Amino acid sequence: MVTEVGARAEERRWHGLSVSEGLVIGRVLRIHKGTRHAYPARIEVGDVEREVSRLREAIDQARRQLLEIKQRAAKLLGEEHAYIFDAHLLLLEDRKLSDEIENYIIDKRANAEWAVKVIGDRLLSVYARIKDAYLRERGSDIEDVIHRVLEALSGERPGYLDAVEDAVIVSEDLLPSAVAELDLEHARAIVTDAGGWTSHTAIIARGLGIPAMVGLQDLCQHARTGDEIVVDSYIGEVVLHPSLATLERTRAEIERRKGSAPMTAASATGLVATRDGIQISLRANVELPAEFAGVNKYGAMGIGLYRSEFLLAQPGVMHSEQKQYEAYVEVAQLAGEHGAVVRLFDLGGDKSGAAVVESERNPALGLRAIRFCLRNESVLRTQVRAIIRAAAQGRLDIVLPMIGDVADVLRAKAIIDEERKKLEREQVESGPVRLGAMIEVPSAVMTADKIARMVDFFELGTNDLIQYVLAVDRGNERVADWFRSLHPAVLESLSRTIQAAGKAGIPAIICGEMAATPAYAVVLVGLGARDLSMTPSAIPKVTRVLSKIEAKDAENIAADCLRCSSADEVESLIRAQFLARWPELFTAKTLPAARQ
Amino acid sequence: MVEATVAVRNDLGLHARAAARLVRTANRFQSTLRLERLDGSASADAKSILNVLMLAASGGTELRAIADGHDEAEALAALSCLFENGFGEL
Repeated sequence: MVTEVGARAEERRWHGLSVSEGLVIGRVLRIHKGTRHAYPARIEVGDVEREVSRLREAIDQARRQLLEIKQRAAKLLGEEHAYIFDAHLLLLEDRKLSDEIENYIIDKRANAEWAVKVIGDRLLSVYARIKDAYLRERGSDIEDVIHRVLEALSGERPGYLDAVEDAVIVSEDLLPSAVAELDLEHARAIVTDAGGWTSHTAIIARGLGIPAMVGLQDLCQHARTGDEIVVDSYIGEVVLHPSLATLERTRAEIERRKGSAPMTAASATGLVATRDGIQISLRANVELPAEFAGVNKYGAMGIGLYRSEFLLAQPGVMHSEQKQYEAYVEVAQLAGEHGAVVRLFDLGGDKSGAAVVESERNPALGLRAIRFCLRNESVLRTQVRAIIRAAAQGRLDIVLPMIGDVADVLRAKAIIDEERKKLEREQVESGPVRLGAMIEVPSAVMTADKIARMVDFFELGTNDLIQYVLAVDRGNERVADWFRSLHPAVLESLSRTIQAAGKAGIPAIICGEMAATPAYAVVLVGLGARDLSMTPSAIPKVTRVLSKIEAKDAENIAADCLRCSSADEVESLIRAQFLARWPELFTAKTLPAARQ
Repeated sequence: MVEATVAVRNDLGLHARAAARLVRTANRFQSTLRLERLDGSASADAKSILNVLMLAASGGTELRAIADGHDEAEALAALSCLFENGFGEL
C-alpha cells in the first residue's frame, strides 16, 4: 500500500536504545503482545456441547504448539530456557483448569472465549495476591497460556510463524513463548517499544547477531505489517516509511560498512596502536555462551569482563561450586593467555537477582552487587572458591562490582584470602587470582587514589557510573534525555579515576558501552584510557578508528571537553572537532546528534 | 494413608519449573497426593500444577505431604526425595 511512488506515507523517525548493532532495510512484521479481547455471548442450551468441544480442540491445539515451541526453545536458547514451557504444557493438561472452564460454559451458557477469559482472570487475581514477588511474577505464565488458548479459539494462526526474508519484528514487548516461536533465522531485526539491555529481546538478538532496539515508546501504534522500515542501531534510530532519499542513503551506508567491516581475527589482534604509537588493548565483554565465539572471531585480547550473574539463569548454580567451577574453566580456556576477569555476581538493582532480593524501594541504591555478596557470604564464598580453583586451569582475575570505598575492598579481600587458605589446607589445586575494583559510584571515584593502593587493577563500568554520577535511572525511558555519556561530570570522573590508577601503577580497564562506540572510544583514549573492553563484535570498528588517529589529538580534544560546562557543549565540540580532523573516519551520523 | 513433613529447600520456592517436576512425579502414582501448609491455610492436589502453583510455597516453607492409595508409601517417598534435593536446584 505504500510502495507506489507518490502515495508514500510520510517518513517518521523514532529513537531508542540499541541493544544489538546493525543497519538493515526491511518490512514490518507486527506482533501483538497485549491480552486478547473476549466478549460474552449467551448461547442456546443445544450449543453448549459445541462450545465445550471447541474449547477442547483449542486446548489441544495450544498443547501441540507448545510442544513444538519447547523443542525450538531448547535448540535455540538452551535447555535451561525450555523448562518454562513444560509448566505451560502442564497447565494445559491440568483437568482442574479445563473442568473449571467447561463448568463455566455449562452453568452460565457462556461461549468458550468468555469462559476462558473469566476463569483466566480469576486465576490471575488470586496470583496477584501472592506475597513472594518471584512467585507472583509467575502469573505471566498463566497469562501466556490463557492467551494461547484464546488465540486457538479465534481460529487464527499467529501470523508471524513464517517470517519472510526481510522481516523486521515490531512489538510492544516479546513474551518468552513468542520469542521462541519466531522464525528468527529469517528475522532481519527486532524492535520493541519496551524492554532494556537485559530483556529477552536483547539477549536473543545479540545471540543471533541481528540488530535490535528497545525503548521505542509508541512505534507500535504506527507500524503496520508490511510497512517499509529502516533500523539503524548504530545510531539508535528507526525510520518508518523511509523516503526514497533515506533509502538511497541507507543503501549507500550499508555498502560503505560492507567495505570497512571485514576485519576479523586476521587483522585484529586485540592490540591497536594509534598513529603516534600509543598502544591500546581491546578486550571482550561477555555474558552468554552465544557470545563466546566472538572472542576469538574478532580477536579480543582476552575477556575484560565476564558477567557471571548470567550463570544464574540455570537453576542451582548459585550454590553449586562444581557447576560454577566448570563454567569458569570454560571461560578461562576461551580467553587464552590474556585471561578473563570475572565480575562477582552483580545481583540486585535491575539485574536478574529478583529471585533472591527482597523488593526494595530504591533498588539501584539498595543491597546490590558487592553489598549483596557481603551480606550473603555463603554465596560469595562459593563463587570465590570456584574461581580460585578454576584459576589453576587458566588465567582468571576477580573484579568486585560497585565498590563504594576501601572498606568494601578490605572485607571482600579478607573473605577471598580465607577461602584461598582453606583450599590450601584441603590441598585442592588453586591458581593465582588478581583482585580488581569496579569503579562505578561517585564515592569510589572520589577515593579512587586510596582504593588504587588496595587492588591490582580498576575496571570502569561506564553505564552505572553515568547513572550514579548524573542520578539518572538508565532503565527509565522518561529520563533518557538526561542520560548523557559525554556529560563533563562523567568525563571528569573517568579522568580522575584513570589518573589515580596511573599514579598507583595499576591498569584501568574501561568496560561500559562507551568503549564500544568509536567516537566515545577516541574520547576515552584522550582521557588517558589504554585498556578498553567491549562487546566483541565492536572490536573491528574501534580498531579501525583508533589505528587512524593520533592519541595526542584525542588528548587535546578531551582536555577541551573537560573545560565544557554541559553535555550539549561537549557534544557540539566533538561534532565540530571530529568532523574537522577526521572527516574520513566520522560522519555526522556516527557522532552524537544535536539535541533539540 | 501416610504422611510426612517436607520443606521447600530451593531458594526460588515452588516456581513453575519446580512445580512442573513435582506434578510430573505425582502423576506417576495411582494414590491421591496432597500438600498442605502446616497451619492449614492452604492445600493442594499435587497432581494439579494449578493447585501447586497456588500454594505459593516460597523457599523455606514447610508442608505436610499426604498420600493415600495402594502405592502410597512409594509415592510419598518419591515426593519427599524431590523436596529433599530441592527439585534439582541445590
